[in-house]
Amino acid sequence: MAKDRNQDGDYSGQLRRLLVGVLLLCLLGLFLVWRIDSPRIERFRAQVIDRVVPSFDWAMAPVTGAVNIIHDFQSYQRIYQQNQELRRELQQMKAWKEAALQLEQENARLLDLNNVQLDPRLTFVTGVVLADSGSPFRQSVLINVGARDGIVDGWAAMDGLGLVGRISGVGDNTSRVILLTDTSSHIPVTIEPSGQQALVSGDNTPSPTVSFIEAPDRVRPGDRLITSGDGGVFPAGLHVGQLAKDPGGRLRVRLSADYERLEFLRVLRNWRDERISDPGGLVTPYGPIPNPVDPENAAQESVVAEPADG
Amino acid sequence: MAERSQTYLWAMRALFVGICTLFVFLRLLPLDTLPRGWAGPDFILAFTLAWGLRRPEFVPPLLVAAVFLLCDLLFHRPPGLWAALVLIGSQTLRARAPDLRDLTFPVEWVSVATTLVAMTLGYRLILGVLMVDQAPLGLSLMQMLMTLIAYPLVVLVSQSLLGVRKVAPGELDAMRP
Repeated sequence: MAKDRNQDGDYSGQLRRLLVGVLLLCLLGLFLVWRIDSPRIERFRAQVIDRVVPSFDWAMAPVTGAVNIIHDFQSYQRIYQQNQELRRELQQMKAWKEAALQLEQENARLLDLNNVQLDPRLTFVTGVVLADSGSPFRQSVLINVGARDGIVDGWAAMDGLGLVGRISGVGDNTSRVILLTDTSSHIPVTIEPSGQQALVSGDNTPSPTVSFIEAPDRVRPGDRLITSGDGGVFPAGLHVGQLAKDPGGRLRVRLSADYERLEFLRVLRNWRDERISDPGGLVTPYGPIPNPVDPENAAQESVVAEPADG
Repeated sequence: MAERSQTYLWAMRALFVGICTLFVFLRLLPLDTLPRGWAGPDFILAFTLAWGLRRPEFVPPLLVAAVFLLCDLLFHRPPGLWAALVLIGSQTLRARAPDLRDLTFPVEWVSVATTLVAMTLGYRLILGVLMVDQAPLGLSLMQMLMTLIAYPLVVLVSQSLLGVRKVAPGELDAMRP
């Protein structure tokens, strides 16, 4: 009996070792393929997430809601303090509101004077946050809009106030937003009012670092950061946050978006601007002008110039 | 008898999948989108190792590979690598399980700890060699330590609530068809 069992164990043991070997080969092979040809596997990952996470959705919303209610109960304990704080903030906000109204009127007047056309293509799709990254090492969220709604990799995601992150990984019904706080997030920004260019890089802390400033002495904490649109990834002019200095003297950005409660995100549709790759094409569309008095060329010039006038 | 133990086997496998799904679900809840300065224990790994040491037939290699590959994909890790390392780790522990069966819990804990350290270091080393972006070292170490601290708790829950105990010497023959 004992011998019989041993033989049996040996046989199944070998079979199991073979299975483990094959599994290891498959897994490591997948990892190597990912390292070599990452986009293909990432598309596969997006499809898997697209299949799996929405099936959790029915349970996720109530559980998240319940936990948030408990959080809210905890904050009720210091309701008097909060009330005082809110009153004080309301006073400040009233002052700001007056200023904003005046500025809005002034802005409308100026826009009218200049006859400016705001870019009509900058519209947005709003999505609900389904899940977070599930790991303390990555900062990302899943939202419930995807390729079905026309989302494309690389578009910017904002909450009501500021930039939150960029789309990275689009499934059919879901897409992943890499937050600005993730270590792989690097966004080119402009620091107002000095106009310095810089790079906002996440480092897994609530306030990402600001680096590669040309003249650090010309910026000061409190300056506004807006996206610069360099590199063609983001539309320019999205509000990111305010500059701040941490105790170690490094410049960081205090993000305007409310990262504690990311519930709804706006994904900005960003149809890429036309690229200017050929400097000659700007001067004339047909290369350098051979002879200014050539009548045929001059006719073409006027045809091309006309739409720009109107 | 054989049929009953077969049903029990599949029920426990299903329970393992259920536990993993529960923890995946809890981790995916969008509760704190702020980066935290700490990392919690990896309960799925702790359950896999604890069950693998007690009743390897409840966590067959195929199941372990499938669960961890899904976790890799969902948690935005490099796909496949951590799953492969967990597979190696759990199989190493399984090979040592007959020696550990008669020893006390601290010995088991130490051997789990060495396996876990080797897995974490191997993971970081391979990612470093292939120049993949990595999580901060402090966070990985913290997750490793928290998993180790949580391990006795996981063992306690598995043994007392879920009935996953080491097989007693006589029981092995009785269980076989």
